Amino acid sequence: MENTFDSDLIHAIFKLVWSRRALEREKNEGTMNLDCEVFGLRLSFRLVQVKAGTSKKNRPTTANANALKLSCELLRVFVTEAVQRAATIAEAEGTSKIEATHLERILPQLLLDF
Amino acid sequence: MEGGGESDFEREEDDAATELLRDRFRLSTISIAEAQAKRNNMEISQPIMACISELAFKFTEQLAKDLELFAQHGGRKSVNMEDVILSAHRNEHLAASLRSFCNELKVKEPQTERKRKKTSRKEDKATTSVLHIS
Repeated sequence: MENTFDSDLIHAIFKLVWSRRALEREKNEGTMNLDCEVFGLRLSFRLVQVKAGTSKKNRPTTANANALKLSCELLRVFVTEAVQRAATIAEAEGTSKIEATHLERILPQLLLDF
Repeated sequence: MEGGGESDFEREEDDAATELLRDRFRLSTISIAEAQAKRNNMEISQPIMACISELAFKFTEQLAKDLELFAQHGGRKSVNMEDVILSAHRNEHLAASLRSFCNELKVKEPQTERKRKKTSRKEDKATTSVLHIS
């Protein structure tokens, strides 16, 4: 428990992903105006796009504080599990250093479990 | 076209921000991984550390996408604890462990009246009913 991720850091990463996705969504809506050759029509599509950008639909997602803490816990478990499983394999092989082969062995099951 | 240039600029800034976050994330991952390895009297080679942190970063990005979709599906703009637990639903043990962590958080921080009315009454009900079943 003593060692975990910082909520703010995870929040920043989440926000980055969400704003990137919001931007992509906007862009997809915006492609409509490329198909259109008439200047007047293009202008009207642009207006639609701007309206959509400020509408509720495209406002980026937010997260509450406890949800972030829980996400930090999920990520902490992910990292400790990766190390723990690799350590078990390394121990079985009689070495005291975790190497690439150990990680390779546990990776498929780890990814299935998360 | 000016719009295109602007978004290129945004993209560059976005990349710089990503790199910074990735580095901060790597540091946290390394400290967690090293602590866990020490508990086993093990060492981790540096490239493996980099692999694990890259893996965890990708996992975080995927988690962000999942949580956004879950919240949207629930008709919300804000991610709550139920969404996080839902993201681990394939692994019963993991979900149960997150559920108990979630309950701990609730006990630790009794929410203010105002917030309670707004958000958590439904949530409380949902978690307690699930607990009774299991």
